This record gives sequence, structure tokens and C-alpha cells, in this order.
Amino acid sequence: MPETLLEVQDLHTVFKTKAGVVKAVDGVSFEISPGETLGIVGESGSGKSVTALSVMRLQRPGKIVSGKVMFKGRDLTKVSEGEMREVRGQDIAMIFQDPMTSLNPVFRTGWQVAEPVRLHHGLEKAKAMDVAVSMLGKVGIPSPATRARDYPHQFSGGMRQRAMIAMGLTTTPKVLIADEPTTALDVTIQAQILDLLRHVNRDFGTATILITHNLGVVAGMCERVMVMYAGRVVEAGPTVDVFAHPKHPYTWSLLRSIPRLDAERHEPLKPIEGLPPDLIDLPTGCAFHPRCKFTIERCSRDVPVLNRVGDTQLAACWVTQSGVELKGA
Amino acid sequence: MSMLGQTPATEIEAPISTFEGAATRPAQSYWNESWERLRANRIGMGAGILIVILGAIAIAAPLFTQFLTHYEPYRLDLLSTFQPPGQPHLLGTDELGRDTLTRLIYGGRVSLGVAFLTVGLSLTLGTTVGLVAGYYGRWVDDILMRIVDTVLSIPAIFLFILMSILFRPNPITLAMIIASVGWGGVARLVRGEVLSVKQRDFIMATRSIGARDLRLIAIHLLPNVLPVLIVAASLGVGQIILIEAALDFLGLGIQPPTASWGNMLTNAQSYFFHSVWLVYFPGVTIFITVLASNVFGNAVRDAFDPRLK
Repeated sequence: MPETLLEVQDLHTVFKTKAGVVKAVDGVSFEISPGETLGIVGESGSGKSVTALSVMRLQRPGKIVSGKVMFKGRDLTKVSEGEMREVRGQDIAMIFQDPMTSLNPVFRTGWQVAEPVRLHHGLEKAKAMDVAVSMLGKVGIPSPATRARDYPHQFSGGMRQRAMIAMGLTTTPKVLIADEPTTALDVTIQAQILDLLRHVNRDFGTATILITHNLGVVAGMCERVMVMYAGRVVEAGPTVDVFAHPKHPYTWSLLRSIPRLDAERHEPLKPIEGLPPDLIDLPTGCAFHPRCKFTIERCSRDVPVLNRVGDTQLAACWVTQSGVELKGA
Repeated sequence: MSMLGQTPATEIEAPISTFEGAATRPAQSYWNESWERLRANRIGMGAGILIVILGAIAIAAPLFTQFLTHYEPYRLDLLSTFQPPGQPHLLGTDELGRDTLTRLIYGGRVSLGVAFLTVGLSLTLGTTVGLVAGYYGRWVDDILMRIVDTVLSIPAIFLFILMSILFRPNPITLAMIIASVGWGGVARLVRGEVLSVKQRDFIMATRSIGARDLRLIAIHLLPNVLPVLIVAASLGVGQIILIEAALDFLGLGIQPPTASWGNMLTNAQSYFFHSVWLVYFPGVTIFITVLASNVFGNAVRDAFDPRLK
């Protein structure tokens, strides 16, 4: 195992709202090594995006109340805003969900793709543009020199996402955080963008954190996966193992709820019963216990800790930690 | 270009040929497109050209008086007072025998100058405040917007009276006086626009590449609120000409003997019945100028306002 590149330790991020304090990220820890791909899955509001934004310290108006983000021997939650700006875009780059709005409509695409190198490497306009054009070519934009002069609205959604990826890569960052990069795209384009991200990961050696609610994407892309529920990590481990033998009932239910092509006709879908929890007023004990099929008495009392279950996985579940296998219809 | 000759390793070819058709069409930026739309609006363009002509006449006022009217704006001629329009006074003379056309041309310098300067000042201050308030939000926004509310809740006419007593208005101070109220509306407008633009992902994306606040505000936000500003500016000119004329008319603005369209009307009201041209020409000039500004302003809005598309 190569040395750790980015390590998040017990991160807590909260949002103060009129209704109360929302613990959007509630004690999340993970690490990622150079060149690795980590998937973060969870439903809307589970805290996956806020986790990523907190790493970049872009969680405003949320607040990081405790925890560390160790990167290159520094704790990013402690460094000055100026140092943080150096990290952003240079060491850690981010791609957002909706490519239709993540490019500034008033500037030519090439100018925007070149912005990180102008900011960080101090390249003059023409040189920065060369970098941008060559990067646009590498991410699969045809006739990049011409297209660099186009405005974002002249690009399709898939091409804009390519441009965003190109923009992220111009400074050859160590970590690329992709926050639901394919959610807003249609299925064929999704496949191409994922393919591109895989190439980027392989050819540039960029460690990739892929945030998604799509389990299929994780299965195809990520070596390791981390499942979040209500701001906490409920399960983590190698993707193969987690998918084959989920050790948390939430993961188990998620995997079971995926419709299968080889299912019997008219077989009903198996949704997870109940609703996601209210983040201001979490259930006592395990946040998932009101929706859980395996719940035992302890689940509603004590908050489960993330512990080793099985050889390679971590799970925050009293049931599986006591050695029970998750099975059933 | 040469380094792009060979296919890079990471290139993915599948869907790309479909876009080639689009690539051959010349790049149409938002500005090009809006400009085309504006140019297609004949009435609007006519009004715009009229304003440009009026502005040019005002700037070149000495030339016109030298070669067209042959009179100085302040030269009295007590032997030819209340001359009706004709020769040698094309638009007649006033109670002191001053040439009306000459004074109209010089008055245009003042009236248009004050209008453009006021719009410029209001926009500069209002945009800055609006950008800062909208971008930073929270307490910065609260404080700035309460100041704006306060400014906008002061009855403007009393403020103008007070200010014109404190500072004897010349065109520059008058512009500052009017702008001291006018910026509030602009600040609100810009702030509202920033609040909506700020929600879009590119602001977060720009922050994520390590841009500082000043860069985000000045380079990324400002151009996005520019359409609203252009519309506000072009509609504002007409309004301010009216306000300025009203202030002059009430004796709170430009003071005689300096000619302005408004204070020419003040004088004229005493002689309404026997020398109607003294009312007629400044009145019509104000009317035409304001009408042209509003028509042009509306045309600009139709062309530039992104919300109307």
C-alpha cells in the first residue's frame, strides 16, 4: 500500500439553520492513496457533497467544527485562506454535478479552462491557452483550438463536463474530486465521462474521489467504496467485497433495491421502507434503525462505531459486528 | 497546434462527429447576439441615433454657435428682446435678448452632461455596493441593504432642497446630489441579480480553482450582471434628464445665468402668453430627449435582458 495522500479524520461539519443545527458531516474519516479511486455513495442529504466541499474548505455557510484534513503533512482545516487557495485548483481539483451551469456563460471556454494555470502557474495568456487547448484535446473535444474559442452555450452537456475535467487537469492535481459528475447527463454520455475519468486516473495518476448515488458507477469505477448515511460513514471497504457481502443493512438494502434484468417478470421492486432521517433531529442510536430489517434492541440505544467486520470491511452496525450475516427476502 | 496532430491517448471518439456541424457556424457570443437584436429594432436604433446626435451637438456647442447661430449664450441684446423665431434668431430670443437656440445648445451640454454623469456615478456606486452585498451576504448584506433602504426612504425632494442650499449646484455637484439617491435602486437591482447568479455552479467552480474573492466579484460576477446594468443605464438617462429639469425649474438645480433646459423653462413661464416659443422650444427638447431615451432604453432591454429571452 503506497503512502496516504489525503487523510480525513473525524470530520464534523454543521449548518446552523432556523430549525436547528444540521450535522451534515458527523465524524467522517477516510483516506486516499496516490492514483486510487474512492467512491462515496449515499442518498441525497447523506453528507457526501458536504464532505467533499469541506475538504476544499468550500462548505460555506456550513462550518467545520472539528476534525482534520491532512494533506502533504498539513491540516487543511487550519491553514490560512491564502494557502488554501494555493491548494484549490492546484493540488485538489473539483468537478461539479451540473455541467450546464458550472462554466461561466460570458467567457470563452478556452479562457476558462486556462484559468487555473494562469492563477497557479502564472502563465501568460497565450501559453495558458496552449495548455488549455491541448488539454481540451486530451479529454476528447474535437478540433480543440477552434472549440476553445466557443462559448459554453455552444457546447453540449457532455462536452461541457469534458471541459470541466480539462480545466481540473491543467494543473495536474494530485486529487480530483468529482461530485456526481454524471448525474445531469444522459446515459450514453455518462458512460463516456466515466470512461474519461478512468483514463485520467490511469494516465495522470490522479487520485479520484467519486461522489455518486449510483451504485453501478461505483462498481465500474472505484477500488474502494464508502457508504454514507445521515452524515456518517456506515460502511467502507474494497468495492468487490462490499458489493458481494455488504456488512451494513443500509448497504444491503441499497444493493437489493437495484432492479435486476434477470428478475422474474412482475417481481415487485424492493425499496427501502421509510424516509431518510431528519438531520436536525436524528433517531437515537443508529440513524438507520427505524428503517432497518435487522434491528436489535441495542440499535435504538447506542450509536454504532465504525469497526472491522469481516476481513476487509468496516461497518457501523451492532448486528453485523456481533457476527450476524445479512440475509433474507 | 502541431502537438495536437496525433490522437492523444485519452481521446474518446464515439459521439463527437455529431457536433462538427455546429462547429462550422461562427461563434455567436451573447454580446453579438444582443447587438444584432438591437440593430434590428429600427425605432430603437433611431432613438439611439437621435441621442447620439443631441450629445454630439452639445459637445460641439461652440462650433454650432460660431457657424450657425452667431450668438454667445450669455450675450445680452436689450434692443432685441422677445424676438419671435425667424432671422437672425432662428428660435427667437428671451427677455434679455439672448438667442434661444444658442442657449438650448449650451443647455444641452448641462442637461445631458448631468444626466450621463449621474448615471455613471449611480451605476458605479450602486454596482459596487450591490456586488459586495450580494456576494458576501449575511451581515455585510444586512448592513449595506439597510443603508440602501434608508437612502431610498428619504424623501428625495427635501434632500435636494437641503443639498442645493448647502452646495450651490454646478453640473458636477448636481450630478452628485441626484446620484446620492439614484445609486440605491441600482444597488438593489445588482444585489438581486448577484443573488441569483451566485447560486450557479460556476461560482463554486471558480472558487474551487483557487480564485480570490476580488477576482470572483470583478471578473466572474460583474460581466454576468452587466446586461441588467446596461438596461438600467439606458432607461435611467431619460429619468434623470426629467429630474434634473424639474430641479432646475424649481430653482434647486443649475442656477442662471448658466443655461439648462430646466431653468430656461423657469424664465419662460412668466412670458407664456406673449412669447410662447420660450416655453415651447425647451419643453419640446426635453420631451424629445426623454422620449428618445426611453424608447432606446426599452429597445436595449428587449435586446440585452437575459430574462426576456
